[in-house]
Amino acid sequence: MPKLTMDAEVNGRKVRREIQPYSRLLDFLRDNLNLTGTKEGCGAGECGTCSVFVNGKLVKSCLMPAAKAQGTRIETIEGLAGLGDLTPVQRAFHKTGASQCGYCIPGMVMAATAALRENPGADIEEIKERLGGNICRCTGYTKIFEAVEMAKAVIAGDAPETVLEEDKVGDSYIGANVRRLDAPSKVSGRLKYAADMKMHDMLQMQVLRSPLAHAKILSIDTSEAEAMEDVVCVITEEDVPGNDGFGVFVHDQPIMARGKVRHVGEAIAAVAAENVLTARKALSKIKVEYEALPGLYDPADAMKPGAPVIHDYAPDNLVKHIPVRKGNVEKGFAEADLILEDDFRTQQVEHAYLEPEAGIAYVDPDDVVVVISPSQNITHHRHMLAEIIAKPINKVRFIMSPVGGGFGGKEDMIYQGMLALCAMKTHRPVQLNFTREESLIASAKRHPARIHYKMGLTLNGRITAISFDMLSDGGAYGMSSEGVMRKAAILSCGPYEVKNLKVDTRAVYTNNTPSGAFRTFGAMQAQFATESMMDMAAEALGMDPFEIRRINMMKIGAKTHTQQTLETASLDRVLEAAETASRWEKGVPNVRGAERDDLNGPDTRQPCTLGARIKGSRNETHPYEKVA
Amino acid sequence: MLTCDAYHMPGSLTEALKLWSETSDGSRLVSGATDILPWAREGRAGDVHVPELVDVTRIAELDGYAFENGRVRLGARTVYQDFLTDRILMQNLPCMPHCAIWFADDQIRTQASLTGNLVNASPVADGTPAVVALNGEIELARLDSGKIVRRSVPVIDFIEGPGQTRIARDEIATAIILDNASGYGGSFQKVGQRRSLVISIACAAGLVKTDHNGRVFDDVRLAIGGVGPRPIRLTEAEQALKGARISHERIAHVAQTAADTVGSRSRQEYRREVVVNFVRAAIEDALANQPNVTISFEDTEEEAHA
Ligand SMILES: Cc1cc2nc3c(=O)[nH]c(=O)nc-3n(C[C@H](O)[C@H](O)[C@H](O)COP(=O)(O)OP(=O)(O)OC[C@H]3O[C@@H](n4cnc5c(N)ncnc54)[C@H](O)[C@@H]3O)c2cc1C
Ligand code: FES
Ligand code: FES
Repeated sequence: MPKLTMDAEVNGRKVRREIQPYSRLLDFLRDNLNLTGTKEGCGAGECGTCSVFVNGKLVKSCLMPAAKAQGTRIETIEGLAGLGDLTPVQRAFHKTGASQCGYCIPGMVMAATAALRENPGADIEEIKERLGGNICRCTGYTKIFEAVEMAKAVIAGDAPETVLEEDKVGDSYIGANVRRLDAPSKVSGRLKYAADMKMHDMLQMQVLRSPLAHAKILSIDTSEAEAMEDVVCVITEEDVPGNDGFGVFVHDQPIMARGKVRHVGEAIAAVAAENVLTARKALSKIKVEYEALPGLYDPADAMKPGAPVIHDYAPDNLVKHIPVRKGNVEKGFAEADLILEDDFRTQQVEHAYLEPEAGIAYVDPDDVVVVISPSQNITHHRHMLAEIIAKPINKVRFIMSPVGGGFGGKEDMIYQGMLALCAMKTHRPVQLNFTREESLIASAKRHPARIHYKMGLTLNGRITAISFDMLSDGGAYGMSSEGVMRKAAILSCGPYEVKNLKVDTRAVYTNNTPSGAFRTFGAMQAQFATESMMDMAAEALGMDPFEIRRINMMKIGAKTHTQQTLETASLDRVLEAAETASRWEKGVPNVRGAERDDLNGPDTRQPCTLGARIKGSRNETHPYEKVA
Repeated sequence: MLTCDAYHMPGSLTEALKLWSETSDGSRLVSGATDILPWAREGRAGDVHVPELVDVTRIAELDGYAFENGRVRLGARTVYQDFLTDRILMQNLPCMPHCAIWFADDQIRTQASLTGNLVNASPVADGTPAVVALNGEIELARLDSGKIVRRSVPVIDFIEGPGQTRIARDEIATAIILDNASGYGGSFQKVGQRRSLVISIACAAGLVKTDHNGRVFDDVRLAIGGVGPRPIRLTEAEQALKGARISHERIAHVAQTAADTVGSRSRQEYRREVVVNFVRAAIEDALANQPNVTISFEDTEEEAHA
């Protein structure tokens, strides 16, 4: 293929490289120049992890053909401060703690730098607008905006440089503003995530995924792919030497589909080749014959007698049922003056960590299979993989690379096994970097839940009984469902002392994308229902919502839903803090109309507007105040 | 992933037209690449290989803008960010800054061309209603026996449906020609799921000019996108307001009738509802945005006198 000679000035140095005519600027920086501080969070212009300056203008390098940057001056995160010190913007990010996983941070620093270069006097609204193209999933934006305002003040000379230094810590670190040790590596783009790592002679892997939700695999023909130049190996379940099966609780998921596929996006085969493009082309040469099976897409259908069976070991499609019983619910409901009954539903949610899944595997000189990945559960992965590849545990090693956001979504060993197999088959290092789309389609989601709720109360607001029935869509594989159901059951009825309760949480198999761990691990779904019921009860009884919670809250000595006696309890203080912070006006929420002082205060999120920088730009007598 | 055998960056229009007419089928023109690169990804076109890509952003003739016969001629390289940084464009095309500020983000606007937005012909492209309100035309050039031949097509006709335009295989768009709307108030409405980086569910552009006393509508332009396969100019609503005394009630009434006519063309209940509020807001915002005139609403005045 004809190459293109790329000349540019990158971070103050002239460079010349042969690149592909279709390379993006992002590829040129990362692959040709090893400037991996510029990340690929989405490859589609949506996230801002790839922001760089081209001739002084900030652009998204994933959307720019490299050829466009021919002859230009490019500045990346690595070039902002040169070697050594950090810029005031970077130091301010360090100071305010504006970096958690750090994956978005190089892009954020670039956007912040651009904002202050474009307008050193930008007010906070304009700063927010100018950072609008960059997404952060963990830090939240408050600390980031705080950092930009701090840097702005230092650059303008309105604040001394000493504000960027670490605060003095007194007697205790608790309550002190302590800078994060790992922040300099993140704000400078130096930290290497799995996709940033390179090894000599490394292959690139790509994965063939199922287009069908539920189907028998009749045959897989990899011969044409295997015969391709630069393809080094193709693997399927046949290459698994040991006991195939992984999962956080039940080991029901094969490394690659075995005999049938259970959800769209399930891995079927993988190719390792000299480069990504060849690996991707090879995927299209793999022929898979399917026989479609009736699918299950609704958890209620999965429970019906005669429903299609997704896993042979679970003919009832049940992943896990967690029952909790306390007291006597019939008696409790009989004592109630008021019984409320309702249904709640929550949806599937993607974690959308900014770092798509990525990893490297290799076999070391002592025949140890090594997997480097941002796994949230390396010890468990190591044990499972040893079984799967039939090796003693001391011949399997997992290295946890920096996690660019996980939130529970990187607990499942959905690709490390394939990497290990390819490394074992080729004896070369193999890397796999998910695309954003692949991450969305193949990784676990938050369980969508349906909750049928029944609550009995006395007229003075005391809960007499609760019956809580949750049905969760576990998707095609068990993953963390069991644990999520346990947590949902344990926390089901909230931090309230309920004498009589009957709780059932169930996760069932369907042919939807598997559900797994996600921040709160089942509690969010349960609390959505419980706290909604508390508010509805307050309305029904004409009570203040804080009041009804105080009447029922667990105090020291209370017995939890699972009959543990509490030795400490803090809900009283939590409620008090929430009540003060929200400037809550006492009373029943639904009878006070519009004249409430606790609404729309300075601490309330204002409706979204844009246009800070075009306000009043046309003439001073008619300032433009409002956009849409 | 988008791959190609060759990437060309012609520096002159003649060179570009020649190159373009000689490319093999399936080759594509590229401006900012903000549509074409994300298009070649999973869930959309998937991996795509095209023989050649011809980049138009270094063609000197497509640069800059000029004023001609009461019209503004924008070179095809004009990008969205220009409507937020160039004072002259902001003043003469008053709905464009408001359209631009809701478009993608600063970084994408630096690359994304108005021309690419129109040629891509998405039913929810933000530029379309704004350009249609400005009576926009797109200028297309091709080579005929070595000579550059140009034609102009009104954008409202140019866009025939989703992804469908009247551009011919050998043509390159060279300019967008718009009314000079200096002295008008401009506005833009957009419904999307967040503030930056979001494609509209529906959008609308408004332009308004009143008499000096701010009492009567001299001219009103309204266009909406996202409610059908093609952009819609609300000519009936415009006519109903032209020459009329300005009042909130009249605006609300016109908005309602506009929504009824448009609504019948859109099957989506939500979009139908949005149109009422859009039209009202487009007019009111444009009124507030008109330079050097204080608007006197008939109904507010009556209240003041009552
Ligand atoms: C994250 C993101 C957010 C976005 N947000 C918005 C938004 O808010 N509103 C919106 O409307 N769009 C949005 N878009 C879409 C896109 O940015 C716009 O449509 C943009 O204007 C396209 O212009 P371009 O120069 O990048 O076009 P390209 O991608 O370069 O080209 C688009 C099409 O136009 C053709 N073309 C380009 N130039 C010429 C020419 N001179 N002559 C003939 N044909 C030509 C190309 O062949 C191609 O078919 C967004 C895109 C992304 C990735
Ligand atoms: S915006 Fe470029 S990788 Fe996400
Ligand atoms: S710190 Fe921003 S995405 Fe993790």
